[in-house]
Amino acid sequence: MKRTTNLCIAFLFLSVTTGCWNLEEPDQLSFVTGAGLDLTEDGKLEASYLVVLPASLGSGQISGGENKNSFQVMSATGKNVSDAMVNVQSKLSRKVFSGHRDIFLVGQRLAEHGMGKTIDPFLRIPKSEMRSMIYVVKNGKPKDVFSIVPFFDRFITTSLSDEQKAIGLKPYLAREFVVDVLSEGKQPLVPVVGLNPSGHYSYRGSGIFNKADNVKLVGFLNMKETAYARWITNDLTRVTLTSSIPKEDGSISLTLHSLDQNIHVQKIDEQLQITVQLSGKGTIIENTTNLDPTKQKDLQLIQDELNQKNQKLVHKIIKKVQEEYKMDIFGFGEQVHQQSPQQWKSLKQNWTETFSQLNVSVKVDLQCTNLGQTDSSIYP
Amino acid sequence: MGLFKKSYIKNKSKTNNPSKENISQNIDKNIIKNEQILKDIFQNCSDIMYRKITIHGQNKLLLIYVDGMVDVDIIISNILKPLMYEGLPQGLGSIDSVAQMCEEKHLSALQIKKLSDFGDITDHILKGNLAILADKETTALVVDVKKFETRSIDEPANEPSLRGSRESFTESLRTNTTMLRRIIVTPKLKIESTTIGNLTQTEIAVAYIEGTVSMTVLNKIRERLDRIQTDRILESGNIEEFIEETHFSPFPQLLNSERPDVVASSLLEGRVAILTNGSPSTLIAPMTFWAGLQAPDDYHQRFIFVSLVRWIRYVFTIISVLLPSLYIALTNFHPEMIPPVLMLNIAILRESAPFPTVIEVLMMEIVFEGLQEAGIRLPKQIGPLVSIVGALVIGEAAVNAGIISAPVVIIVSTAGIASFIIPRYSFGFPMRMLRFPLLLLSGIFGLFGIAIGIIVIIIHLIHLNPFGAPYLYPVTPFNKRDFKDVWIRWPRKLVKKGGDKA
Repeated sequence: MKRTTNLCIAFLFLSVTTGCWNLEEPDQLSFVTGAGLDLTEDGKLEASYLVVLPASLGSGQISGGENKNSFQVMSATGKNVSDAMVNVQSKLSRKVFSGHRDIFLVGQRLAEHGMGKTIDPFLRIPKSEMRSMIYVVKNGKPKDVFSIVPFFDRFITTSLSDEQKAIGLKPYLAREFVVDVLSEGKQPLVPVVGLNPSGHYSYRGSGIFNKADNVKLVGFLNMKETAYARWITNDLTRVTLTSSIPKEDGSISLTLHSLDQNIHVQKIDEQLQITVQLSGKGTIIENTTNLDPTKQKDLQLIQDELNQKNQKLVHKIIKKVQEEYKMDIFGFGEQVHQQSPQQWKSLKQNWTETFSQLNVSVKVDLQCTNLGQTDSSIYP
Repeated sequence: MGLFKKSYIKNKSKTNNPSKENISQNIDKNIIKNEQILKDIFQNCSDIMYRKITIHGQNKLLLIYVDGMVDVDIIISNILKPLMYEGLPQGLGSIDSVAQMCEEKHLSALQIKKLSDFGDITDHILKGNLAILADKETTALVVDVKKFETRSIDEPANEPSLRGSRESFTESLRTNTTMLRRIIVTPKLKIESTTIGNLTQTEIAVAYIEGTVSMTVLNKIRERLDRIQTDRILESGNIEEFIEETHFSPFPQLLNSERPDVVASSLLEGRVAILTNGSPSTLIAPMTFWAGLQAPDDYHQRFIFVSLVRWIRYVFTIISVLLPSLYIALTNFHPEMIPPVLMLNIAILRESAPFPTVIEVLMMEIVFEGLQEAGIRLPKQIGPLVSIVGALVIGEAAVNAGIISAPVVIIVSTAGIASFIIPRYSFGFPMRMLRFPLLLLSGIFGLFGIAIGIIVIIIHLIHLNPFGAPYLYPVTPFNKRDFKDVWIRWPRKLVKKGGDKA
């Protein structure tokens, strides 16, 4: 008994006196909800942080005073990532804590320069949050986005992280970006935000990267193209499609809720043939035609029309990516890898070229459900 | 110091049993001499009554009893009247002594004993019997006419339940055994009696059901009770201390209950109950960890409800032990594990706090324990006052004054309330106590420290083996049939016979 007690006391003193003490009170940390990287005009790396100011947040709740901001944007330049981070830290009395980083922004200048070597150490820091969403800032700098005073939230980063969900995309996290970069048969497709002249941000589709060339930005897809591209990669949860029907002199909008995709790889005469099947079920939310969807004939007509229109559209987008950018953002390579692994071994070396010459056929199958909700117009 | 200790022990052994010293002698033939001896023994005992009567002018009798412990009506009507009015029959014939005559003919009492040793006689007098000494005879007659004021049967104040019997044990052992007999009507219910304590002469009853009881447990209890050497047993807690397996465990190794239905149900499960005269709380052995988390009416309510409540109890038990230390570990070591918005809110509230979180939580815990202790000792009229003042002072004022941050108040009070959900009060103690070492560990090592603490607690629980029955049974060692009862209270129809819970 006495020995145990002595051991316990010795253990306690040892553990306290070794100095192995990584206790940090919340008021010794500066919480960072957003971090950004960009290049300055003279080629230096610029790191910027959105730092939360808890004291002013608290006083704002009690007295309602709005004279003080609830956040502060800190930025500093450096030769590399660590240098820039040290320089930011030198401006702050509390230790930078990135465990709650919601957003990671990459400036367009850095993206076009190639960000592979820069972003790697940044995401590798142990306390770095891999679940932060990654965005490319078009025509701007990350610190400009961070400076925006948001409508709803306390910080712009919260708004940005809710943005993708609001428009029906699955969130694209830094972790997924890393996975895409490391995979052999897929190129990253990163969401893009841009600054408006009014001083607010807006979602602008996504950027196509070439990971073979230091993860360099090669081009943009607009919002609509992004939606279809994400549908093909099964990262879309909800979308509204509008198609005009010339025969009936009107248009029909369809909100799809349950979306599905299927990519089939076939080999016909030594040629790879890829079939993309997109299907979805949804509700008609607007109908300016004279068609009555509750009638089987009219419904068939609407569905056929929608299917054809979208089929053409998807085909066009795939063709555009194949010819203009030559980057396999749809993950066809991964599908080939999974469905015919033997062939992939020989294909993977030259996949970028193979991709641009791939024969892709598209099938879209849309179904309208809940027909009673919106049928024909009440005006005859 | 050593000298003092020695002399103390010496002194103690000398005064070990004063009542039996010098009085182990037999009754003399001369009644006047006997009276003198008894008066010497009971010197300065103003409550001892002597009553001399003479029958037929020749047979002198001496009645001795303790005032207030005997039934005066019975003495008058059943003992004094027959002796004084009817007197002794003429021609004694086969009867050769007054004692025999009284025993066989005159005294209408149930328990009569013939004794000749002064030590025995004094014992019986002190327990409320009437001693009758006759002149020229060497045996005294001891008649059981016990009657003293006892508390009536009340509701169990410390173990209320929604359903089931409202009876509670009283201080009188005989009443308590009666209550058990009334519930379990079988000759298999055995109640063994012993007396422990040289000065208090406390009666102890060991109750069990023959056939169901585990003999190893019963024998261990008998053996440990036999070994007790003490002057006093005032409460069943004294016995608990003497017979428990190890003193150095925060966990109680015997369950205590003041409810006859709980004790009866434990007996039917094969446990042993130890009833102590003078204490309404009865000890039940062996105890298991899970028994500490079961309420008296668990087996009276419907099973779905009870199963749910059991789960809530388990969750709250964990909360009561771990919540304060988890709070420290998460805010000070692993802030990334708390949802961002919550972490920011905590950071906002921490902004104006003057003390480190560990100190804050420790201070609040100590104040809370103090409030709890104060609440028990207070008279009923002042009780609510303390809780109001406590809630206001700690909950509101301390936060507003900027001494304590608000989350700490929430954490400590949640953990405090959670510890009250444990149905057995004595089982709540270890949970309250273990909070403090875990708090220190988490303040030094974070989650790692908590993990170490939990591992140590679990190792201790697995090692605990009171009365040869593992404390964590049926989880370790695993028993499938009984294990079910830990998580879900199965409907009795579905439980196979043999393990029938009462």
